[in-house]
Amino acid sequence: MTDPSTAAGIAAQSDPPAPATRSLWSDTFRRMRRRPDVIIACVISLFFVVVAAFPGLFSSTDPQRCDISESRVPPQWFGGEHPFGTNLHGCDVLAQLVHGARPSLLLAFLVVGVSLVIGLVLGTLSGFYLGAVDAVISRVLEIFMVIPFLLAALLLLSLFRNVDFGGGELAAILQPAIVLTAFGWMGYTRYVRASVLETKNLDYVAAARSLGASDLRLMFVHILPNAIGPVTALVPTSIAGVIATEAVLAFLGIGVRPPAVSWGIMISDGAEWFTGGFPHLLLFPLGCLLATILSFVVIGDNLRDALDPTLR
Amino acid sequence: MGGYIVRRLLQGVGSLIGVMLLLHLLMTLAIQLNGNPALAFFGDRVPSKSQLAAVEERFGLADPCYDQVGNPCLGPFVQRMGDYLTGDFGTNHRGREVTDIVATAAPNTLRLFVIVTLTWLLAGMLLGSVAARFRGRAPDHSIRFVSILIDAFPVFVMLLVYKFIVTVPVSNWMSARFGGDSLPALLFKPSFSPDHPWATVIVPGLLLGLAGAAPFLRLVRASQLENYNADHVRTARSKGLGDAHVTAFHIVRNSSIPVITAVGFVFAEALAGAVITEGMMNIYGMGGVLFNAVRDSEVSVVIGVVTILAVVTIVVMFVVDLLYAVLDPRIRYD
Repeated sequence: MTDPSTAAGIAAQSDPPAPATRSLWSDTFRRMRRRPDVIIACVISLFFVVVAAFPGLFSSTDPQRCDISESRVPPQWFGGEHPFGTNLHGCDVLAQLVHGARPSLLLAFLVVGVSLVIGLVLGTLSGFYLGAVDAVISRVLEIFMVIPFLLAALLLLSLFRNVDFGGGELAAILQPAIVLTAFGWMGYTRYVRASVLETKNLDYVAAARSLGASDLRLMFVHILPNAIGPVTALVPTSIAGVIATEAVLAFLGIGVRPPAVSWGIMISDGAEWFTGGFPHLLLFPLGCLLATILSFVVIGDNLRDALDPTLR
Repeated sequence: MGGYIVRRLLQGVGSLIGVMLLLHLLMTLAIQLNGNPALAFFGDRVPSKSQLAAVEERFGLADPCYDQVGNPCLGPFVQRMGDYLTGDFGTNHRGREVTDIVATAAPNTLRLFVIVTLTWLLAGMLLGSVAARFRGRAPDHSIRFVSILIDAFPVFVMLLVYKFIVTVPVSNWMSARFGGDSLPALLFKPSFSPDHPWATVIVPGLLLGLAGAAPFLRLVRASQLENYNADHVRTARSKGLGDAHVTAFHIVRNSSIPVITAVGFVFAEALAGAVITEGMMNIYGMGGVLFNAVRDSEVSVVIGVVTILAVVTIVVMFVVDLLYAVLDPRIRYD
């Protein structure tokens, strides 16, 4: 929960805070704070979030300005014009790395955020009302579960490859965002539904109901803040998953649209030059991708342990 | 139990129809937005009106609804469902039967699956059990660290690194040392060869299986840990049973139920991983066929193959559910 997006999500969801909720979160925070690997992971992920938000801080070179006469310059480190060298087309690797962070991270936060909201709403509705609502949501969920995530992404992104969404930063990631969200909401819905089922029969919910609280109030003020625990542990892990998936899609040529650069595109372009004497073209983007994914996975793993009541 | 099977079977058929309807709607929308895929048949040439009409007729794209954006095109859908019931899955743009394509491609995918499943089952069970046995000590920490590391490595990166950095030098060295057609040289070939379908599929399968083993071993560890503190294990120990016996019969056996349910999900995941693996290692399998069909917008092949894959997935999930009910006597569906 030290991750800013998760923290913001939690703050938004647990408002107004019930006393029991606050103690769970502060307890979790205290447990997370004591783990050195969590601190390191948070620093790394925060660093890449800053890179994505303010690329100008780290490189003043334009990633699109490429000079073919300066093709494949090896890294010159600090002081040189190209600290991390240049690629086949003479583009500055550092500038591409820095600007490549934004599409990946923006896509990840967008997809996970929207899927989480869909999952919270549908999961709460189906767990709370059961009956017909639950039957419909469960059937739809099953249909989406049967088609594997990556298969669907591959299918849809190739089908709609030629559909134009206009220019701009958001348009470059809009299509993968829609597809990844459409096939990414099921996990959250199932988790939320299961914990709503558990929570809704507790005494305090019955008490609120007998005091005349409306269904909407019961769901979103009383049940959801208590049922949200297991789902939050999914968030950092899913962010890591989306970043990895984006890299796969970019590698297949159907992810973030050119001219936007992303780490996946850089990896697939650089891989063949590794043994050709230019390992930096693969190692730099690969290092950034792995560091980001690893730090989010570590945060998610520890968050799950910290939120698990049986391990207390 | 009988009632449960029937209900579950009906649900399976329902989701299958749902999947096909969803796919149909998406493909229809894509055709309406992108233009007619029958034009792809002609390449650069501009066909005459009657030629185009003939090709459209042949691929079942003649219905005018494909030109109206937003029209769900239910007529062709019902017709296609009828064809599927009679076993007719259509043909690709060159007139080859989809069932024929699948019959050639499926064995390679199955080979990959056998190796993937063996890998993640063995690696996951073994490492998960060791981690649970030594909870909180060095083996546990190192196994969990490795599993997180594997999680962070996307499958395609693993394959990419393997293909571009490992295969060529190792394969050359092995060829020079043991001969070009020896097993070690074949194992590390950078791409699939139909003459040696098993040897060239082993290493990609191992990598894909390792990627699936990471979440699986954590599941194994968690479900075994629950059993280490359970009453029946304490009873078994207190009546003097040996450590190995308790681990094998009281802990591992009792913790295998959640593990079996994971099979269904791992299967669906492996299917997606197979698309990338087959694409990258040039394996002629279901994933590769699908990938090419999507690229060439061969509607009937895409829908046919995905339908077959969906049927397989639904059957696997159905069997897993039944196994779950059979294995766990506490679960009764009535």
